[in-house]
Amino acid sequence: MSEFVSFTVVGLVTGCIYALIGTGLVVTYTTTGIFNFAHGAVGMFSAFAFWQLWQGWHVNAVISFVLALFVIAPALGLIVERLLMRPLHGAPPDVLIVVALGLLLALVGAAQLIWDPNTFRRLPQFFNGSGFPLGGVRVSWHQVIAVVATAVAAILIALLFKRTRLGIAMRAAVDSPALLAMAGGRPTLVQQSSWALSSSLAALAGILIAPIFQFNVILLTLLVVDGYAAAIIGRLRSLPIAIAGAIGIGLGQNYIIEFASGSGGFLSRIYNILPMVVLFLALIVLPQDRLRTASFAGTVPPRVASLRSSLIGGLVLVAVAFIVSAHLSIANLKIGANGFAFALILLSLVLLTGYGGMVSGGQMAFVGLGATMMGHLGHGGSLVGVVAAVALSAAVGAAVALPTLKMRGLYLALATFAFATVMDQAVFNQILGSGGSIRVDRLRIPGIPTTSDRAFFVVTATVFALAAIGLLALRRGPFGRRLVAVNDSPAACATLGVNVNWTKLIAFTASAGIAGLGGVLLGGVPRSASAIDFAALLSLVMLLIARVGGINTATGALFGAFSYAVYQGYSPHLPHLLQNAYLLTGLAAISVGRDPNGFGGRVAQVAERLRPNRTQSENPDVPPQATGPAAVFLEEEAGLVHAGS
Amino acid sequence: MSTLAADRLPPSDDQAGTDAVLRVAGVAVKFGGVNALTDVTLTAKHGQITGLIGPNGAGKTTLFNVITGLQEPTKGRVFIDGRDVGSLSPHKRARLGMARTFQRLEVFGSLTAYENVLAAAEFHKSWSDDDTPPRRIAREVIKRVGLGSVAQSRVDALPTGLARLVELGRALATRPKLLLLDEVGSGLNHDETEALGELLVSLARDGISVLLVEHDMELVMAVCDVIHVLDFGRIICTGTPAEVQRDPHVQAAYLGADTTAEATR
Repeated sequence: MSEFVSFTVVGLVTGCIYALIGTGLVVTYTTTGIFNFAHGAVGMFSAFAFWQLWQGWHVNAVISFVLALFVIAPALGLIVERLLMRPLHGAPPDVLIVVALGLLLALVGAAQLIWDPNTFRRLPQFFNGSGFPLGGVRVSWHQVIAVVATAVAAILIALLFKRTRLGIAMRAAVDSPALLAMAGGRPTLVQQSSWALSSSLAALAGILIAPIFQFNVILLTLLVVDGYAAAIIGRLRSLPIAIAGAIGIGLGQNYIIEFASGSGGFLSRIYNILPMVVLFLALIVLPQDRLRTASFAGTVPPRVASLRSSLIGGLVLVAVAFIVSAHLSIANLKIGANGFAFALILLSLVLLTGYGGMVSGGQMAFVGLGATMMGHLGHGGSLVGVVAAVALSAAVGAAVALPTLKMRGLYLALATFAFATVMDQAVFNQILGSGGSIRVDRLRIPGIPTTSDRAFFVVTATVFALAAIGLLALRRGPFGRRLVAVNDSPAACATLGVNVNWTKLIAFTASAGIAGLGGVLLGGVPRSASAIDFAALLSLVMLLIARVGGINTATGALFGAFSYAVYQGYSPHLPHLLQNAYLLTGLAAISVGRDPNGFGGRVAQVAERLRPNRTQSENPDVPPQATGPAAVFLEEEAGLVHAGS
Repeated sequence: MSTLAADRLPPSDDQAGTDAVLRVAGVAVKFGGVNALTDVTLTAKHGQITGLIGPNGAGKTTLFNVITGLQEPTKGRVFIDGRDVGSLSPHKRARLGMARTFQRLEVFGSLTAYENVLAAAEFHKSWSDDDTPPRRIAREVIKRVGLGSVAQSRVDALPTGLARLVELGRALATRPKLLLLDEVGSGLNHDETEALGELLVSLARDGISVLLVEHDMELVMAVCDVIHVLDFGRIICTGTPAEVQRDPHVQAAYLGADTTAEATR
């Protein structure tokens, strides 16, 4: 019995911390309409700042706490609001996602630079973990503080929203900052307040949770991300439901531990992944928007290369790879092979996200499945292993796609990221062993030498070139048009007889299969695969470098992948400040990732200018709807809002 | 232009005719506390142009959404060729031979005008047993709706009026027997509107049933066989153009005192 009580106490505390995280997300969402994916990193960063003050510089604990919570965290929130979010008002959803993910990675990277991850740090509990007995179990003051802080924060925020002018203005701000301004409100002030407030909440959560679990940049970030499930359960709007959900998850996690104490193994693994599983399920169960209207935001994707130019491009690429390979060192050959493997992975995102508009935050899970399968079945580099790897990745891709088909934008990104996290923690870390690895043989084609470093480099180039030619051919054909059409306007497609979900399912499955093939190549370069190669955050890195390179061209995929692979290969030789891939990817995404066409788009633009006799209009501006009277417009808006909520 | 409707078959016989391609029976839609549609009943017949007019906010687009399956009605049923389609998803309804355009543009913005139409023809081929090559259908349709000069332009760079014609072409490329047009003529100049009127009449002559939502009264009165007037979600009048123009309710609710009625823009 006392054991049950103690699990209840621990579960309640964890749940309260999740509730703080969920509350912070709800605050920014209800006031700015932005789901702040970077919330986890804000919490992590503030907790490290707190550690620096308290443990690093030996500032008094209370002063450190107050500084972290009421100065540093709000300042961070204000900086984010001013520099990143405010200029994005009215930006297309994909840009919001890219910037939020970029911020998450940049903060993770910055924290790793400031606080070297190889140094062991501990954030002590308040009052050094001392406590008192209660009902036969020991309760620490830290736990009491967590519960009380949550309760106080929840009550204050409820009062703020319901009773104060600022709170009411906050709720008004999301619908129309312009209207709020006309009514005498100050939307900017309101949004600043909400960013500052949610940052403080993230900080509080980070500071409370870090001493209970591990104090490590990435793990702490993911711990805070665990709390996202609560916000989703509250449909990003309802605080009480979010808090109830959070406590439910916290209790559930700990009761599982109690059950698992006898059975060991499997159940205890669920402890770690439960929040992410709940997040995934909540996203599925949550009522989704009905078929939404088109959201083309004036971005003009580059021309699709013709069959002739893609064939020439592929041939040139393989020829260049072949010639250059004779002069490269083994280390450089491996960097190059990595580049082509990553390029193939990014190609899977070109299909899914660039053409199909589905944002995957979990592509590395499919890569990992491919590599693992190749390791298990592809002994000696047999083609059986390759086929099995692609088939497994594609099949799992289909299974993930089925329940998530109706999600759009950020929700799909969240769900796929949750999936990748679960795969990372519950599958790859188990099968491959935490820190362990399995052997992955290089693809062998009978009669042709393919396994030397030089040959494998050329093989990866060839596979990429073939995949790119195939993908471009697909894009130019009926399925490509259908996929682009479904992305441009699902409603129009449905009323023209297209099974929208089926189309998306095929694209998702194919994309996962390509990513699996990428895994076969990626594992082949070092001839091994380990869980760290498929860490969940890497999925976000892939998405962002795809975006920076250009998410709708094969050129963009190649450019993004090679920038990353070369950087990865040479970063140990770079100055300390430039050594963090997360930081650089994040910053690149925030700065140049806003242009969906990326680098590949620029290349296509230049190519377009060089083409003679092409007068294709590049003007993305759609003339304003000159005719539909405003009242009808409003009727439609009302219809959508009501039906959607 | 007012003679267009007259020189066409078949003369409208009676309401309960079996030639109703579309029948809407007692449809109601509520958004929260607002009654967007109340007990709407109408039919659209083979080879006829049926007008659906009404002031802004009357519920015309909502009705289109109900018919095509994008909006679930609170009450009522929709029949296509006598078949209750209430349980069918939008794409399955479309496969029964129905296509529409959207008042708020729903073009495939990143494709060219030709590709928009071609994609629709390809969709049609994928679910019908029509073997006509999609490219041929697309070329014919582009010519018929008069988009030849902009066929290779990306649609998000086209003016609204032309983009609406792309939607019309796209709908036609699925070879529908029932065509729902939601203000397809707005954004067109006088000559273009006249050409559109002639196109609609020729479509009806080919046997297509057209349900037309339009604000341009001159066009509506010229081409429609029957007109339903919708006001505050209710049908307040049904009749021939002449009857509708004479109806005092319609004059009060919509047209104003002047029966030669300009569009309400």
